[in-house]
Amino acid sequence: MSRTITIDPITRIEGHLRIDVEVENYAVSNAWASCTMWRGIETILRGRDPRDAWMFTQRFCGVCTTVHAMASVRAVEDALKLPIPANAQYIRNLILIAHALHDHIVHFYQLSALDWVDILEIPKADPAAASKLAESLSPWTRNSRNELKAAQDKVKAVAASGQLGIFQNGYWGHPAMRLSPEVNLLAFAHYVQALEYQRKALQVVGMLGSKTPHIQNLVVGGVANAIDLDNQSALGIDKLEQIRVLLAEVSDFINQVYLIDVCAVAAMYPEWFKIGSGVTNYLAVPDLPLDSNAGAYDLPGGVIMRGDIAGMQPFKTASDPVFRESVTEDVTHAYYQGEKPLRPWEGETEPQFTGWDGEKKYSWVKSPRYKGQPMQVGPLAQVLVGYAQGHPPTKKYANLALGQVSAIAKVNATPALMHSTLGRHAARAIRAAMLAELADKHWQLLVDNIAKGDLTVHNQPVFPFGEVEGVGTHEAPRGTLSHWIVIKGGKIANYQAVVPSTWNASPRDESGAHGPYEASLLHTPLARPEEPLEVLRTVHSFDPCMACACHTFDPSGRQIARVKVL
Amino acid sequence: MKKKVTIGGIGSVLLGDDAIGPYVVGMLESGYRFDENVTVSDLGTPGLDLVAHLSGIDALILIDSVKNDAPPGTVTLYRKEDILRHGPAPVRMDPHSPALSESLLIAELAGEGPQEILLIGITGEQFEVGAGLSAAAEQATTQAVAQVLTELDHLGISYSKLRKTPYSAWWNPMAEAHPVSDRIAIATPVQP
Repeated sequence: MSRTITIDPITRIEGHLRIDVEVENYAVSNAWASCTMWRGIETILRGRDPRDAWMFTQRFCGVCTTVHAMASVRAVEDALKLPIPANAQYIRNLILIAHALHDHIVHFYQLSALDWVDILEIPKADPAAASKLAESLSPWTRNSRNELKAAQDKVKAVAASGQLGIFQNGYWGHPAMRLSPEVNLLAFAHYVQALEYQRKALQVVGMLGSKTPHIQNLVVGGVANAIDLDNQSALGIDKLEQIRVLLAEVSDFINQVYLIDVCAVAAMYPEWFKIGSGVTNYLAVPDLPLDSNAGAYDLPGGVIMRGDIAGMQPFKTASDPVFRESVTEDVTHAYYQGEKPLRPWEGETEPQFTGWDGEKKYSWVKSPRYKGQPMQVGPLAQVLVGYAQGHPPTKKYANLALGQVSAIAKVNATPALMHSTLGRHAARAIRAAMLAELADKHWQLLVDNIAKGDLTVHNQPVFPFGEVEGVGTHEAPRGTLSHWIVIKGGKIANYQAVVPSTWNASPRDESGAHGPYEASLLHTPLARPEEPLEVLRTVHSFDPCMACACHTFDPSGRQIARVKVL
Repeated sequence: MKKKVTIGGIGSVLLGDDAIGPYVVGMLESGYRFDENVTVSDLGTPGLDLVAHLSGIDALILIDSVKNDAPPGTVTLYRKEDILRHGPAPVRMDPHSPALSESLLIAELAGEGPQEILLIGITGEQFEVGAGLSAAAEQATTQAVAQVLTELDHLGISYSKLRKTPYSAWWNPMAEAHPVSDRIAIATPVQP
């Protein structure tokens, strides 16, 4: 007999993710991912000045502000075929990298580590043994017995107070939790340290973007940063040096802590390299352009179908026509009107709410498809596409991570293991390490270019009377983001954003094929269906962001989430 | 030592009355001058990213739309214990969901959260995309600004009022000009 579990953070959040799973014999037999509110934010852009669109798209989501700003200016620039000065590319790239580093660190430590780490086991740990273990894995200087003892005391104090604070609602003591007290302690100590390093990464975004969370330095055609090496208020020697130091500190944390923790935790849960694969079609777009015409990139893009890494098809540029011709959105199971899949430029957003019905319509998220197929996006897609292309930084850090897992778990970890829940975590850490290295490179490119005497930061956009269309892409922390714009007579005629979580959280399409979240949950074993920790592990591994949420605070304490088992 | 204070507006400017926090912040930025140790910031909808803004500060003043049983436009003050009374969300599903109490608890755990916290909540009426503020919410903004200033007085922070200039939010449906367009010359459409 099957039971249905609904995980639904109700109220307060106006647009959010809901997961329904059917469980039979302690394993997931069917799954539905849905988003519970219509946003339709794109409609308010119609008729506006395309140069202002980024200010609005930056507000789509409060966590991914920068990425929507960047995709938007790129969409307009693509429509106008407007080249971007090299300085502007490097400054944008540094902002994108710093934002991604912040995001990946927060995702692992603050948003998902506690799916694997049992806080209530920490008081049992021996800090000296934990320190010895840590020092065998990493040169990180903040793994001393004293530092770990202090972290343990924090947990003891929280536990002794009788109120678990932030740890109130974890599935502590769940049979699927399996780390030793010492590894739990290490992960927690790094959870606290991570707060410091994610903030340093954000500081870089703020210094280059002049504000965070909403950067102010973008313009269609480039950036608005004044470059003057001798002027302290402009982007000069002092500021550049501060940025370099901050990025180096973040890089050390990623290489000596984040990447190592992910490998260590992964090595203790090797079965999770076999759970959670789902859709093994992957999509990533090229990013981090290296010149003003975006002819070369530091992050490769391409497509992998049915897990066939050797058969990967690369995208040469971010404006590859194959990409633009292949993306459609299907609304068979989404609460919108429409018969057939449409390209985003022709996209319509006419709501048709019918209530949750797993057989018919059940989500406000459309189903983006690539050549009619569901695609997984995110760091895993990016790492697999890079690996298939022999992209040196991807290979370097992927081999490092797989080697580390192999050594700790005493198994032979191969790239094939990456099609999994833990593969997504590992890929995110690999991507972070790769980006940290590229941050250094793009910082140097910027400094060298300025040293040559080039201070140009933007090119003037000129809008034609007629109609033009463009696509702005960005390989964001959660994966491929694309903004599709139609401009008519200098005004926005249509605008659609196909966001990473739409690819991953999409409902079934007209052929009945599951979206990536849904597919990844099938066959997942559940030790205690009433505490579906395993479902959360896989969903969290995608780093879901349905945010774009209304932030109304509800002080009444009305139940704000539920796990319902029928 | 002067107290370090952050005044933050929370909410999405695209969703009707959810814009009230950023709107009040805009009024403060355009109408007052604050000491260097005061940061005034439109924080948008930061979720857990709020934690990054809590480090090293002594006091936090947030302005946000709230859902309660009061009539739209009512201003209600909440202190730390009111916010933390109900603890974090029971299920971490979408990790980016609004996370005020979660952010405060994490900052506290790291030993770096503010001692004094005031949330100035304004009961919203509608949260429609692109609708702008309701009349009730707009009327409450003056009172919210006054509450911020009262809290600064209480904290012993000085500020000065600038010459009155009417505040116009850039996201307002009627807003024509805003700083971005001014930054570059207006491109006249040319015949292709």
